[in-house]
Amino acid sequence: MIGPAHPNLRELMNNYARDLGQISPSASLDARIGHLVATGSKSFKRPPRAWRRLLAWGAAAGFAAAAISAGIVIGMRLERARDLAVAQRAAPPQIGLAFADLAMWPSDSVALTIPAEYSPQGTLVAVNPGEKSTAQRYLIDVVVSNDGTIRIERIVPADGQVEHQQANPDGVSLHVQ
Amino acid sequence: MSLASPSNAFEFSGWNFSQPRCPNKLTAGRRLALMSLDDTECMARLAAGDTTALRQLYERHGRALLRFSAAMCRSRQAAEDLVHDTFVALLREPLRFDPSLGSAYAYLCGVLRHRVSRHYRQEKRWVTLDSGDDADFSAEDAPGPLDAIARSEITAAFRRAMLELPLPHREIIALCDLEELPYTTVANILGCPIGTVRSRLHRARALLTIRLASLELVVGDALSFAHRGFS
Repeated sequence: MIGPAHPNLRELMNNYARDLGQISPSASLDARIGHLVATGSKSFKRPPRAWRRLLAWGAAAGFAAAAISAGIVIGMRLERARDLAVAQRAAPPQIGLAFADLAMWPSDSVALTIPAEYSPQGTLVAVNPGEKSTAQRYLIDVVVSNDGTIRIERIVPADGQVEHQQANPDGVSLHVQ
Repeated sequence: MSLASPSNAFEFSGWNFSQPRCPNKLTAGRRLALMSLDDTECMARLAAGDTTALRQLYERHGRALLRFSAAMCRSRQAAEDLVHDTFVALLREPLRFDPSLGSAYAYLCGVLRHRVSRHYRQEKRWVTLDSGDDADFSAEDAPGPLDAIARSEITAAFRRAMLELPLPHREIIALCDLEELPYTTVANILGCPIGTVRSRLHRARALLTIRLASLELVVGDALSFAHRGFS
């Protein structure tokens, strides 16, 4: 339960309330109220309440629809731009083959036979067939497909495989499959 | 008396202090109870299209509404405009008044306080260069004796402190302490429970006391009284 205000505050409030109580409406306010009484509600022209409410609801619905549509359009544009950026980032580096020549699955390939011999490091390296060497030579069959893959089919000793060397000056022969 | 007199500090000195506030000794609640019977009839007549009922309602409640509006607003012009708007709203939609929910005075006060809130919301958009209240000062309204001048200076300082209060606190003090309305009527006007009215009034008085203490208008005893409002 709230008690009375402090006497000091009460005194100030009483003085203020007394001064407020001496206020009387001005002649201007009396005249305005008199005008209201004289003209009545005829002086206010406003649309009917139902029509006004309908208008407000219609405007709100239109605004909401416009906002949602704008949101969808903006979202679609952002999504498309993001997909494009991801596709560009994920694109393979430009190689000898044109982008359109690469397929998901190999539909075309070529087979190459490359003469090679062991290097001092223990790896097979391609050799010039015109160069005389006493080391054992091998022929490496390589298949290059149009899906971008390179596959080593087999490695065989070069004994008796003279026809490859005759086919190409660099020793590499091409077999169309 | 020139405009440079000490009474210029009295911000609402443009008001016409001509009639006493409460000629009879009836309490506000008793007056309201007596008026409400006639008010309901006036409202019914107004709803039926009889605009002379508006005049009767204005003569009956216009001054009280103007007092409340004056306690809430910084300028006389704004206070009168808001009272006028209240009666315009009543004339536009008299059927919105429901006698089962409260008296006509409470309804009008409720409409007025909404207008005051809207007035302050709209006022925020503008920059006030000068209150201009002092320009309303007229020599006829100034009290002659020195003690009256001193009292009006104190009251002006009190008014400034009141106007610095947040709107909900200002209106609760205006209704409960200045208009001395019963808590039930105030709760009806504000549309809140009586407990909320009490707690808000307690806090508003404490805030006002602290502000008045900064102006050295209340003694330390009152300040400790106020601090209990926040405990």
